[in-house]
Amino acid sequence: MTTRGWWLSAIGAVAVAFGLWVATPRSSQADVTGEPHEDDKAGHAHVPAPVEYADAHMPPGVWTDPAMIARGKEIYAIKCAVCHGDTGDGKGPAGMVLPLKPPDLRDKAGIAEMRDNYWFWRISEGGLVDPFKSKGSAMPAWKDDLSVQDRWAVIAYQHTFSGHQGPHVPWEHPEMVLVGRDIYEMACVSCHGAEGKGDGSVGATLSPRRAPQPRDFTTSDFKFRSTPSGQLPTSGDLLRTITEGVRGSGGPLTFGLSGHRIMPSFRQMPIEQRLELIEYVKSLNPRFWERTEVKIVPIPQPPPVTPERLARGKQLYADAECLACHGDTGRGDGKSAPELKDSLKLPIVATDLRRPARFKNGSRPEDIYRTLVTGFAGTPMPSYADSLEPDQTWDLVYYVLSLSGDPGRAAGASGRGSAR
Amino acid sequence: MSKRLVLLVALVATLIGYVQVKSAEAVPAFARQYDVQCNACHTRPPRLNSFGEQFHLMGFQMPSAARPDGLLGVFKEDGPAKAVIDSLALRIVGGLFEYSTSPTETERKFEPPHEIALFLTRAITPDLTFYAEIEYEPKTLAFSHERGFFTKDRLGLGKEAFFMLNLGRVLGALGAPTMEMGGMTMVGRHGGFNMHGPMVMAGKIDPSTNFSYPTNRQLILDTETEIEIEPGHERAEVHRFAVVPYAFTSKFFGLFKNRDGEPQLAVDQVMYNTRGEPGADFHAMFMNNLFLGQVGFLRENEGFNTYGVWRINLGESRGFTFNASALVNWGFGVNRAPDPGDEHDPGARRVDRLRYGIAANARWKQLDVYGALIWDRIVNLPRELEGRFDRTAAGLTIQADYLAHDQLMLSTRFDQLWAGGLKDDKRDGSVLTLQAKYYPWPNVAFFVRDSVNLRAFENENPLRSWRNQVFVGIDWDF
Repeated sequence: MTTRGWWLSAIGAVAVAFGLWVATPRSSQADVTGEPHEDDKAGHAHVPAPVEYADAHMPPGVWTDPAMIARGKEIYAIKCAVCHGDTGDGKGPAGMVLPLKPPDLRDKAGIAEMRDNYWFWRISEGGLVDPFKSKGSAMPAWKDDLSVQDRWAVIAYQHTFSGHQGPHVPWEHPEMVLVGRDIYEMACVSCHGAEGKGDGSVGATLSPRRAPQPRDFTTSDFKFRSTPSGQLPTSGDLLRTITEGVRGSGGPLTFGLSGHRIMPSFRQMPIEQRLELIEYVKSLNPRFWERTEVKIVPIPQPPPVTPERLARGKQLYADAECLACHGDTGRGDGKSAPELKDSLKLPIVATDLRRPARFKNGSRPEDIYRTLVTGFAGTPMPSYADSLEPDQTWDLVYYVLSLSGDPGRAAGASGRGSAR
Repeated sequence: MSKRLVLLVALVATLIGYVQVKSAEAVPAFARQYDVQCNACHTRPPRLNSFGEQFHLMGFQMPSAARPDGLLGVFKEDGPAKAVIDSLALRIVGGLFEYSTSPTETERKFEPPHEIALFLTRAITPDLTFYAEIEYEPKTLAFSHERGFFTKDRLGLGKEAFFMLNLGRVLGALGAPTMEMGGMTMVGRHGGFNMHGPMVMAGKIDPSTNFSYPTNRQLILDTETEIEIEPGHERAEVHRFAVVPYAFTSKFFGLFKNRDGEPQLAVDQVMYNTRGEPGADFHAMFMNNLFLGQVGFLRENEGFNTYGVWRINLGESRGFTFNASALVNWGFGVNRAPDPGDEHDPGARRVDRLRYGIAANARWKQLDVYGALIWDRIVNLPRELEGRFDRTAAGLTIQADYLAHDQLMLSTRFDQLWAGGLKDDKRDGSVLTLQAKYYPWPNVAFFVRDSVNLRAFENENPLRSWRNQVFVGIDWDF
């Protein structure tokens, strides 16, 4: 065949393939797992709990606590059995006439896939939220009638219907996090490693012999959090990191590329799949299930910027020894800077505060406030929660912003919306 | 389009890149498109790390995070000018200074970069991507029946120019279960069998990008073939072969590409391991990229070759990862045997070539070791040549790269050629290459390399007609 013939063949192959591709429909987006439903009329959907409920986990020991199960049985008999049935088969007298039938809680496979935070969400919000609302769910929202403790008690009791003896956690039921696992193995494993220990092959050449290295999800050292020092992040924190990526702060090799991300942004990944990914990441660290409450650092309403506040901030910058690492001008060239090491004993660079666009934890005033209060776990950046009052923290926030040389950045900061 | 105009376009594109990017930082296309540093995908450019390999397999898109609105969304969000600029990249590469020695001569010379390439690449939709290179080579080797070998400058399509299309949805239409992963259609079920693809890559392609040793992503660049007109001769002959990874080369002395008599040099990279030929490739990743399967066909000379590859990927723990590939490749009528009556002319018979081989790559922290062992066998050789032509050949290439420092990559490569072909002409070759590559910035490199011929010098044989070749050069990407 002539060269021209080869080209025409190649182009033709592409054209035919493209035509076939255009003509074929995409698979449904409604079901993030792509799994077929055993019972499309049952009130269960393969969707992750929204981020507001994503941190609702029951400590492993509670699942099998006889006192909790007994309490749950009492509540179930009064409030749930009429629809869900005495044995959890979904055939309660009221349930039989509902357009959207209650699921069979004895279904071992179905229950095994159902995460505790999803379960808690369903009981709390009932059929008042989508996708259940548009399916015609009649399930009440119990969040106003049942305390958090009571809702978990009911769930622990319902769990017994499935016959599973142990706690209802991902390491007992890997099927809970299959979607997230598949996404992780395609998108994350090269950096974060097969076991989530941050030891994938890419880290060694991404930041050779220095920080930052890919996060080890199995430890408690998560940098970007809205929780107090020493605590794990929220699911919302993890979602923010996955969505925004992580910017590079600099280093000897990054001239011309400082500020570009070292961890890509995955904002184009559908939100449901990012939440599934987060569930898998959390499943690598049982501590997410051991915490009994999730505290978020409160961020007060930002006060107005004034010259006095900036002057106080400048003094605080010195008193709090920020300039020891970040330097007089915020360049990151403080006298301690060359000796800084992270928790892995790797050299780490103090952030150049003159370039807020490169701040890894965000550059809005509330982001900087959060960073000052939570610190960066695993790095020399401490938490100032115990040493600075909120007003002082705002002083320091505005001074840090003023280091960029953009007067509008600090001056305009106080005119922004409410704190998170 | 004239050469000057193309160069002007390339320079203007680069300047626009400087102006458009707010922080006045010029970076290659994918870094601009996705706002990531080069090292996210490259151990050091152009060599890909395992995330970069995944990015390439996804059609140059973030794994599981393809932009759902594709190129149209980019136009809306960034505007057409930035969309176009971010789709462009420029590479300037080559040895600028050469110092080579042999027992008969010592040569020092300055050379222009041997290649300037403009890349244009973008995902059009989550399932469709295009990629094209336009290349300018000031001194490319050419052949004509009248003149023999000569060098000329060349501007044209570069090594690769192709569309890549994910056919997963088509399989879905045929009844296969599918699922959407980050905007891309995968076949299968979570927790069970799953397959990304099959992807079809059609156009001018280098399918070996997916091999454990990709031909086209060398940290140690190929050198150039030297030709000269010997006293009393009118036509130039090859005086010195290029130094290339021998595993992927033709390996046979005495074959021809076509009836015009253009020799198939023993160091030409051919078959599946080519540097870009028209064809179509189908590849798919199974079980979250645990396995990769690949089949396809490429044009080669007067014939074509078909291939199959299987690759397994393991590891990603404790800084270690490993992959291995197996290849089988049949070239139908891809060469002409020499005329039994006059070995300097091509015969009437076209021969087939069977190629099979293995490759492997192990990475541990800053150390990257990879190699390939490939056997070739000529099939359908004219009987008259049986006693004079060795039908089998093999090549071994092993390379190790070590990132000694953030900005310093040390590389060494050993090449072994067990040549086939005309027994009077064929010679085995052994070359050791050492290189230091300095990256003042992630996308800019200066290198110094030294290739040493470990075999006995033979002035008459282009594989052995040198002792030492030292190059100082650049490898810049914008």
